[in-house]
Amino acid sequence: MPKQKNPFWSFFASVYLTITLLVFTVVLSIVGTFIPQQDAARGFAQGIPSGLASFLQTMQAFDLFHSVWFFLLMLLLSLNLIVCSLNRWSLTWKQFRGSPISGEEGLFQGLSPERIFLCDEDVGTVTGRVEGLLNRKYRNISSNQEKEDTVIICGERGRYSRFAVYVVHLSVQLLILGALLGAYWGWEGYVNIGEGETADAIDLKGGKGTKALPFTIRCDKFIVAFYENGVPKTYRSDLTFLKDSKTLYQGPLLVNHPISLEGVRVYQASYGSSPDGRASLAFPRGGKEGKIIKVGPGEIFSLPEKEGTVQIVRLEENLMQMGPAVKILVRSGQGEVSFWIFQHIDKIREMNPGVTEQVPMFNPALFKPYVFVLKGMEERYYTGLQVSRDPGAPLVAAAAVLMMVGLIGTFFSSHRRIWIKIQPAGEKTKISVAARSNKHPVVLDREVRQLTEQIKVSLEKGST
Amino acid sequence: MTNTMVLSWVTFLYFGAFVFYLFRLVFGKEFWGKAAFYAVLGGLGAHTLGLMLRWKESYALGIGHAPLSNFYESLIFFAWAVVMLYVIVEWRIKNRSLGVFVLPAAFLLMAFASLASGISDRIQPLIPALQSNWLTSHVVTCFMGYAAFTVAFAVGIMYFLRNIPLFSFIPEAHILDELIYQNTVLGFVFLTLGIMTGSVWAHYAWGAYWSWDPKETWSLITWLIYAVMLHARYVRGWRGKRMAVLAIIGFAAVLFTYLGVNYLPGLHSYLQS
Repeated sequence: MPKQKNPFWSFFASVYLTITLLVFTVVLSIVGTFIPQQDAARGFAQGIPSGLASFLQTMQAFDLFHSVWFFLLMLLLSLNLIVCSLNRWSLTWKQFRGSPISGEEGLFQGLSPERIFLCDEDVGTVTGRVEGLLNRKYRNISSNQEKEDTVIICGERGRYSRFAVYVVHLSVQLLILGALLGAYWGWEGYVNIGEGETADAIDLKGGKGTKALPFTIRCDKFIVAFYENGVPKTYRSDLTFLKDSKTLYQGPLLVNHPISLEGVRVYQASYGSSPDGRASLAFPRGGKEGKIIKVGPGEIFSLPEKEGTVQIVRLEENLMQMGPAVKILVRSGQGEVSFWIFQHIDKIREMNPGVTEQVPMFNPALFKPYVFVLKGMEERYYTGLQVSRDPGAPLVAAAAVLMMVGLIGTFFSSHRRIWIKIQPAGEKTKISVAARSNKHPVVLDREVRQLTEQIKVSLEKGST
Repeated sequence: MTNTMVLSWVTFLYFGAFVFYLFRLVFGKEFWGKAAFYAVLGGLGAHTLGLMLRWKESYALGIGHAPLSNFYESLIFFAWAVVMLYVIVEWRIKNRSLGVFVLPAAFLLMAFASLASGISDRIQPLIPALQSNWLTSHVVTCFMGYAAFTVAFAVGIMYFLRNIPLFSFIPEAHILDELIYQNTVLGFVFLTLGIMTGSVWAHYAWGAYWSWDPKETWSLITWLIYAVMLHARYVRGWRGKRMAVLAIIGFAAVLFTYLGVNYLPGLHSYLQS
């Protein structure tokens, strides 16, 4: 094992380095929450002086968590962890293997008075009792006849907890590795698919182009249900996954229940309705009820008696908070006229008397003698899917489990060793209890107090 | 709604408990300490009842879910966790002097939940993203963590006040140090679990276990600050004043993670309502 002399080694073996790196990570993360990142950064960059924007761009400040800075920090942290662990390993191993009997010098010096007491039994009896008691809670019980008449019994607990901190640090390494795997071989993107349509590629997040999928996704149906207050309750897409015109999988996709196929995960992320729906229009002439036709944007139809043609210019689901509306353009011998037809025109008139006179654009009877009526608008939904692949995810999950195990071992367990010296003191026998723990002195104190009580009780019981 | 009425009584009980803890200091009579503790216990009982009523009422409305789904409910649960932890700590260390510092936190959380404008105390239906079994485990673990950090923060404040004659009742420095450490460890373990359950949930709901959403990033920042604190203690042997300072800095990060990030754009927008 390299020695501390090597400057490279001692640099990475320092806990100050760890703390410095963690503080840097904190600072970088704080900056990353105040400067808009990735997709959000584009709008932000346009609103600031271009010099500053290009400087930030060069510094990779618009994607800090995937920047070379962040990568360097993680690399240094990883190296730091490895070197620290290697550096301490031999000591930990020695402490793990070390027989507890070889306690340090001065183990029994300066013991607090409550850890030394006398009893009437002889050394042999006391030794037997104490061994019996220690056996219940401690492992590796051994006794040693130090001098004539003097016996030292020792035991230990929680030996394996010495490795717990290594488990935590290993889990951090796995976490970094898993995150890197995901960053380099994973991808994430979005695709909107209208009902009845298919998609075989997605737009990658952060404007990094498109990505072909290993299969084709067809949206057969999209369903959304709302609560009374208008908030969506559930939405789902019925999807078919096709490959080489064969169906790979067919089923519903719901929020919180992604579909995983060929290493790719598909999520129900959002939805919307497309502007290319169809409107149901009626156009009674002179009060006579006519037929109803269904038209989409851009379509042109002729009015009866060759009085003109009508083109659908725009469909709006909710124009100016007044509900569905269609803008049409009528061409006739008298020229062109364009106006809006609201579905709820009666209600709008009621709320704003005289509106159709003041705003001719809102008058459905602008092209006489016709009165256009919007009977309804067919909403055509599209489903918003998020598609991603992350080969690092299983590693990250394993790291999480390891970290939890390691943390519990680190915080709630310690390597405790107990030495009990039994020696004659005149007519009586003197018992001294010494203990060491690698952490949590308060816990050790409590444990020794309990053990001392137990020994006293057991010896008193024996003497009666 | 019955639950909000019960919960507003709880606010007064906690305030009463705080006043009793103050009386105990001023008059030096243990009677007030006992009265305060009973007020806390009564408050915690009513608080638990209020939460359960709210849960039940949500089912009566046909939108049944655990009361952990919006800002109001998170504040109420946060306060519950703080008081719960406080009761355990007082019972374990047999010292009532912490009450003066911890109870105001619980009282303020409750009062803020009931009085602040823009916080709706109505039971709202869950949007699809929140309809997950991970909601409960994520919110419970996170707020248990926040509660432990709150107690550590209160003890950190006590650490700096203990030399002022008025506050001579504050326990010795090494007891405070141990309390800061224990609560930090508890908070750290729960925060770790909270981040993990959140990641698993995000893996099912958002398409990635980690998206660098501001709340995620700030939870990592908080986690790192406490990680630095624990390393400094374990490896460099930091104690007392330095730990108290770090407990206060850490709590500032907790507050920002909980409240501050709502002013930054991101995915965790449920709390804005």
